[in-house]
Amino acid sequence: MSHSFTLNGQPVDVAVAGMTSLLSVLRDQFGLLGAKLGCGEGRCGACTVLVDGEPVDSCIYPVANAEGAAVRTVEGLESHGEPLTRIQDALLEHGGVQCGACIPGVVMTLTALLETESSIDDSTIRSSLSGNICRCTGYQKIIDAAQAAANANGGPQ
Amino acid sequence: MTLVGTSARRADGEDKVRGAARYGMDYLEHGTLVAKVLRSTVPAARITELDCSTAASMPGVRAVATAADAPGLSGLVIVKDQSLFATDVIRYVGEPLAAVAADTAEQAEAALAAIDVSLEPLEPVLDLEQSLAEGSRLIHPDWESYETAMPGTRGGNLAWESRVERGDVDAAFDRAHLVVEDEFRTQRQHQSPIEPHVAVARYEQGRYVVHTPTQFPFNVRGRIAELLGIRISDVRVIVPPIGGGFGGKLDVMVEPFACILTRKTGRPVRILNSRSEELATCGPRENAIVRLRTAVAADGTLLAQDGEVIADNGANSSGETVLVANVAPLVLGGTYRIPNARYASKVVYTNTPPTAAFRGVNGPYCVYAQEQHLDRIARELGMDRRTLRMKNLIRAGESMVNGQQLDDAFLTQAMDKVDEIRPWQDAHTERKPFRGVAVVPLTWITNPLPAGASIKLEEDGTATVTCAGAEIGTGAVTTGVLQIVAEQLGLRLEDVRVSPTDTDTGGYDGGAQGSRTTYGMGNAALDAATKVRDQVLEVAATMLEAGSDDLEIVDGTVRVAGVPDQQVAVASVVATAMFDSGPIGASGKFATPPIPFDSGCMAGAAVTSFAAPLYQAHMAEVEVDPETGRVTVLRYVVAQDVGRAINPQMIEGQIQGGVLQGIGYALFENLRLGDNGEVIDDDLESYRLPTAADAPPIDAAILENPCSYGPLGAKGAAEPPIIPVAAVIGCAVSDAIGKTMNELPLTPFSVLQAITEDQDRAVRSDQRHL
Ligand code: FES
Ligand code: FES
Repeated sequence: MSHSFTLNGQPVDVAVAGMTSLLSVLRDQFGLLGAKLGCGEGRCGACTVLVDGEPVDSCIYPVANAEGAAVRTVEGLESHGEPLTRIQDALLEHGGVQCGACIPGVVMTLTALLETESSIDDSTIRSSLSGNICRCTGYQKIIDAAQAAANANGGPQ
Repeated sequence: MTLVGTSARRADGEDKVRGAARYGMDYLEHGTLVAKVLRSTVPAARITELDCSTAASMPGVRAVATAADAPGLSGLVIVKDQSLFATDVIRYVGEPLAAVAADTAEQAEAALAAIDVSLEPLEPVLDLEQSLAEGSRLIHPDWESYETAMPGTRGGNLAWESRVERGDVDAAFDRAHLVVEDEFRTQRQHQSPIEPHVAVARYEQGRYVVHTPTQFPFNVRGRIAELLGIRISDVRVIVPPIGGGFGGKLDVMVEPFACILTRKTGRPVRILNSRSEELATCGPRENAIVRLRTAVAADGTLLAQDGEVIADNGANSSGETVLVANVAPLVLGGTYRIPNARYASKVVYTNTPPTAAFRGVNGPYCVYAQEQHLDRIARELGMDRRTLRMKNLIRAGESMVNGQQLDDAFLTQAMDKVDEIRPWQDAHTERKPFRGVAVVPLTWITNPLPAGASIKLEEDGTATVTCAGAEIGTGAVTTGVLQIVAEQLGLRLEDVRVSPTDTDTGGYDGGAQGSRTTYGMGNAALDAATKVRDQVLEVAATMLEAGSDDLEIVDGTVRVAGVPDQQVAVASVVATAMFDSGPIGASGKFATPPIPFDSGCMAGAAVTSFAAPLYQAHMAEVEVDPETGRVTVLRYVVAQDVGRAINPQMIEGQIQGGVLQGIGYALFENLRLGDNGEVIDDDLESYRLPTAADAPPIDAAILENPCSYGPLGAKGAAEPPIIPVAAVIGCAVSDAIGKTMNELPLTPFSVLQAITEDQDRAVRSDQRHL
């Protein structure tokens, strides 16, 4: 069966069973290894990508559900001529990255938050991160980074 | 000094935020086969038949490996009682029986299902006390035949015992004003890094080349060799970026299967654990029982302590539990002055998955027990809990239980710093019903293992560090060590790089464990950098016609101090040296200097002292919901001595991360075992990890109390923040509800039970009064 969607802005077409996880399509068919297979059970968020702007756990997201949608991964983030996007830069500036295995997922979740929420505070950041497990950092520096990126944003992008 | 002490960005950070870093789990080779492991579903049995003939001839199956392929016995240094596959006898649910390499995962799974196993069940021994009881079935009937690295007390189901004894314990108990006795029980905790265990192996030129995200490449190399019965140098371990470890990636785990199967097939073989294999088979922090009996004078002076720690080894000694047995007495007797002490630390076999190192090893539960116990002593004496601690705290120049003198003890300073941030008196007087507060001091160790590193200067004047230090995520290798090197060489941080971790190219390194990378590798790299600097200055002195003592290196330029226009670029120095004296480069090395202690007081001790000891204090304020038993951490304060802060922001990150792992351990993380000794919590729904909602506000103060043999004074920083957390939260909960909590974790259920027991008792006593 064939499934069409846009991947980081480019139209793509894959012939796999509809129940194949979006994560394995990204990794195995397209060689996009940014999203990680942390648990494969929809519990850790290391595989988070955006489908029509919404963060999803791509390890349990059937590729059939992405039909016609816009799929964005960490590899496709637009940094508007800068080396990094605001949230990527803030994560490094605030020391929010340790092993980094959770980070591609965290970057996608926070990108969606920054794009959609107009007022961002500690509690909106924490609740947006509820599906992203970070075993290393204790989250505080990730939260600081998100807050700083939101402040620099001055509202939605 | 400009770079050391700054919060430089991590050199590997951009790759990580872009998703471009290639972790162990992302590493692939062309034509790779998939390996899967058949694991036991029973805890104890004799294998009467293991028939792989059908499996071996199934479609896509390239090879099957069994016990015959891995003849060696291994174990983490001390006791060699682990075989790769169960041989004749099964000792735990999850023990490997066979492994298959096939073209696809589905084919490998199908082959596993076709392996015929016949078993004769044996009586499982699951409980720690039952295991030690007279007449219990022996889990290793051949225990006497196993090789051990040192003498120690063992026998039957007692895998190992470490003992420490000082002073006259019995006499001290006889003259005590008060004797208090407690027992504590704690659970298994799983490391659960985001990246599971994974390895790709290839057999090449008669050697095994293994890509694996391990914390301790030289240990994995040695253990593969031991299990396969080959030479250590026939294995080469290459470490890609590691997606977290926390102790869980110290031991050999999936690598030997890939090695055997690549040898059999002539193809690269990849093996990747599922999350359930991770939780069910990769050694967690051990469950334990701690019994403490303490003699106290009327003024609160600790006179003597008699302690017994019983730790679950699981079915073999593949993890660190035996190796670190003596850390339990050291941590129990390392923070307070206990002139008479007797500790026995017993590691016991059970028919359960082997346990292993998790950040802080046995520290978190020993400290939990000690501090709950001290709070009970304070309550019985009617003494303020902080005062009791301050009174007995080890001061500079006093000794730990092993007779090791702590000349740089900094415990009172750490306690004072916490008090400055959140005064104990205020926290105490502001308490409301069901709110509690506690403060806990702690002495801990920096792992003392040796390290080697080498540095060469490139033709463009930049420097490359080659070492086998594993970058586990702390930034210690990719940033901390580089800051030290760049500072010493007078180069910009971006002009110093580290080559990938590889046992073929890097000198021996004791692994990313016990906060030792900045300390051990930092020292080795500093030694190399000092030699390289000397070489640069010697050549430059001739070029600049100046004495090398008058030279300084700043931002890649060698100049005569005070004469700014007399200068030469490091790149030119490198070019001149090349044809003059040869390329510039040097190796450096480090071993921890001998630490004096009283060897007569210990037996069976693999860890005899606390190298580069470090000191800290933690404080917590909690609220208990009397309706639900739920504990909320309102405020958390840490003051931690790191010797010298190389990168303060990274240290803060270690404190925040360690504290949250400790909160998980204190309040909910519990890797439960079922009736067959099998792991019940084998997914992340039932094994809950802390989320952003669980993270309390943390005030962290970094204290600098230099270590005379640390690089620029630095000692360990990353491991200890997890250790006092369960203790301080447990004591704060006890304060809130007025009851000693003898078991971890402090789930809403157990806290509620403790509260209602009290209410029941209150009701009963009220009725008596009527
Ligand atoms: S890998 Fe998808 S949620 Fe963990
Ligand atoms: S940085 Fe390691 S899991 Fe988040």
